[in-house]
Amino acid sequence: MVVSVRTEPRSFNRLAARDGPTDLVATLMHARLVRINKKTQDVEPWLAEKWTASDDGRRVTLALRKGVVFSDGHPFTADDVLFSFEAAYDERAASVLADSLQVGGRKLEVTAPDPHTIAIAFPTPFAPGVRLLDNLPILPRHKLDASLKNGSFASAWGLSTPTSELAGLGPFVLAEYAPGQRLVFARNPHYWRKAPDGTQLPYLDRIVMDIVSDQNAELLRLEAGQLDVTNGEIPFDSYAMVKRAADQGRVKMFDLGIAAETDSFWFNLKPGAFSGDPRAPWLQRDELRRAISLAVDRKAFADTVFLGAGEPVYGPETPANQKWYWTGTPKTPHDPAAAKALLASIGLTDRNGDGRLEDAHNTPARFSILVQKGRPRHERGAAVVRDDLQKIGVVADVVALDATALFDRIGHAKYDAIFFRASRTDLDPAISPDFWFSSGTAHLWNIGQPKPATEWEAQIDALMTKQIAALDEGERKRLFDDVQRIFIEHAPVLYFAAPRVIVATSSRIVNATPALALSPLMWSPDTLAVVH
Amino acid sequence: MIRHVARRLAFAAFLVFAVSSASLVLARLGEGDYVSGALGIEARRETAEQLRARYGLDKSIGAQYLDWLGRAVRFDFGSSLLYDRPVRELVPERAVNSAILAVTALTIATLVGLPLGIVAGSRRSVASTVIRTTSIVFLSLPPLLTSLALVFIAARTGWFPIAGIRSAGVAAGGAALDLLHHLVVPALALALPLAAIFERLQAQAMGEVIHEPFILAALARGVGPRRIVWRDGLKAALRPVAAIYGLAIGTLLSGSFAVEVTTSWPGLGNLMLQALRARDVYLVAGCAGAGALFLACGTLLSDVALAIVDPRARE
Repeated sequence: MVVSVRTEPRSFNRLAARDGPTDLVATLMHARLVRINKKTQDVEPWLAEKWTASDDGRRVTLALRKGVVFSDGHPFTADDVLFSFEAAYDERAASVLADSLQVGGRKLEVTAPDPHTIAIAFPTPFAPGVRLLDNLPILPRHKLDASLKNGSFASAWGLSTPTSELAGLGPFVLAEYAPGQRLVFARNPHYWRKAPDGTQLPYLDRIVMDIVSDQNAELLRLEAGQLDVTNGEIPFDSYAMVKRAADQGRVKMFDLGIAAETDSFWFNLKPGAFSGDPRAPWLQRDELRRAISLAVDRKAFADTVFLGAGEPVYGPETPANQKWYWTGTPKTPHDPAAAKALLASIGLTDRNGDGRLEDAHNTPARFSILVQKGRPRHERGAAVVRDDLQKIGVVADVVALDATALFDRIGHAKYDAIFFRASRTDLDPAISPDFWFSSGTAHLWNIGQPKPATEWEAQIDALMTKQIAALDEGERKRLFDDVQRIFIEHAPVLYFAAPRVIVATSSRIVNATPALALSPLMWSPDTLAVVH
Repeated sequence: MIRHVARRLAFAAFLVFAVSSASLVLARLGEGDYVSGALGIEARRETAEQLRARYGLDKSIGAQYLDWLGRAVRFDFGSSLLYDRPVRELVPERAVNSAILAVTALTIATLVGLPLGIVAGSRRSVASTVIRTTSIVFLSLPPLLTSLALVFIAARTGWFPIAGIRSAGVAAGGAALDLLHHLVVPALALALPLAAIFERLQAQAMGEVIHEPFILAALARGVGPRRIVWRDGLKAALRPVAAIYGLAIGTLLSGSFAVEVTTSWPGLGNLMLQALRARDVYLVAGCAGAGALFLACGTLLSDVALAIVDPRARE
């Protein structure tokens, strides 16, 4: 099977890099204690075959599978699990997964009562429990212990590592790496998993991961049968081409419905970020954001940005997140007159009759929207917002920046507004606390607050603390509905439309279980197969 | 001549030093850095600072530049942050791939462009009109469009691979054939516009030379027109092509961004693009230095070629 990635992985060490190709390599080469089935969103036993949780939700005991060995034949034990947690938490290693393995900003306490049992204590009651463990690939202590001890773990398993030095518990092993060209994975001869009918998995003998930097070339290769799977969604402007190929039987198309997460538009709400700026009195006001929400025609947005293959959305969760979507989400109408009235309430009116709004000091209602360069969808989205705002007299300048510059601006809170897509690893809000908590690193509009800057953020913090600890699922849902209600009321982030997610494979791929995930087709690589 | 070559070599060394230095400094001066791109927006500040310290990105630009310079004089150009490999290993690896593509494209362009230019420049006929029109079409098309069109044709027909340099799992015996198969699309994408340039220059020069007194004298002496065109006329008309030949070599060797990206050719252009996107400062400096070196060598080659075909240039 030939799969494409747009760039090379940054490392063979998943703890050292968070880019998509590195994550895909880890999915092929490593296994986790539990797996979240991306299709059903259920937690499935993986390296841990069963587990029990304490009544207070603070402890969980996992029984590891026996007889499992790494791809190099070395036995897998609880010691490897301890090592993986040590590496993730090691400060010198500066692991990119450290944050995702914490609860309430504190580490888990992991012990091994015997070689086949792991006991985990959460610092506070934690409702999602073992779901969190899907984040951590289990690494071999016998291969990496020395690097962790001598402080070089962060650079261990870099791209120059000989393939023979790598070992994992996943379905495949890296057989060849041709820089700039491809990675070739061979079946792991010691893989532990079997199909329900007893067939040894994985079905595939080999996966070739070609590095195809150009998206057009990637799609043409898929259409020509030179590629089996693209590791991502089909762009909207290529639907027609792929659909034609699907109608002719050359590719298979899968419509996964509306995306579970979508592009976000937010303002810099860091207190003091605009001190000395004449726009400070109104740029961070709730009314401005609510007015923008009223001014943007969401249906037209979906039609323009997603070429009709999208639906309006009104809150942080889309209906695709069936479990956590608040069904009471109010549908903000497209009402430019109401938007103008809201802006007038904060002093923004057309004072000189030029059709543009100004405040009491004649400062024009004008701000910039940053987007990531090379993301046509974001550029189009920001342009639609700009055009709709122009109709109510607000001027928005769309500025495209490189990813590195954009991330730097976000980190240092040097921007007016941003249009971007921040993705999450899991649909359960308790697994993405950094977005919701005011102290979180992904609390986009005001990152890492020492204490909540606003009353409503303090309310969300309190509700999320309860939501994460509540062991009753119904109670968790009610609490998260409340979080969404407050969030939508204050609109720190605006959402306009979510796209339909379409993925495609070559016609010879079977057993594909496409799902709304970072790797829609490759999240379950051991059951994929091809017919000759 | 030797003094001239020595002077040009010294200039080449200075050019490489200046371009590498400027690239490193400019790559650092922009907003953000490798760490902000690698960690994304959810990174903890402490994690980012740890990584910056590890990669030396926490130092001032001046300190980092001096560090790099100190190592560069010993031919250690640092390690790529993106690939975790020494730049002096990575760049030559990719330069070889660019060279394979460049030499193939140049050979095709020369073999196609020069003869067509001679035919088109030496007489007025339907053939010369067709050649001229075709050349103008290819001249107007940027290599990006040519490569996209060729990729599209390859995809539709299935005759050639669309991307990459080698197929996975090809036995050693079939490697050369496999490479040639992969070369067709990117080499043609580079060669066709270049052949059009050669053809136009050659045709124009030929058109001028054909009316020179020495050609008329040769004709008067009874020398056959074919011999006059292909021997006497060609030598005199080679000057403008020779003047840009070296530059074309330098430009091709330093990597063609558009074609390499479109056809996923793992050459220097593709590597430079990735380095720039990731803000891999040492790799950016290495790629830019290599590009400058090729360009300087190309210019030198051009001068030498010109001196060979036109003795007046030696003076």
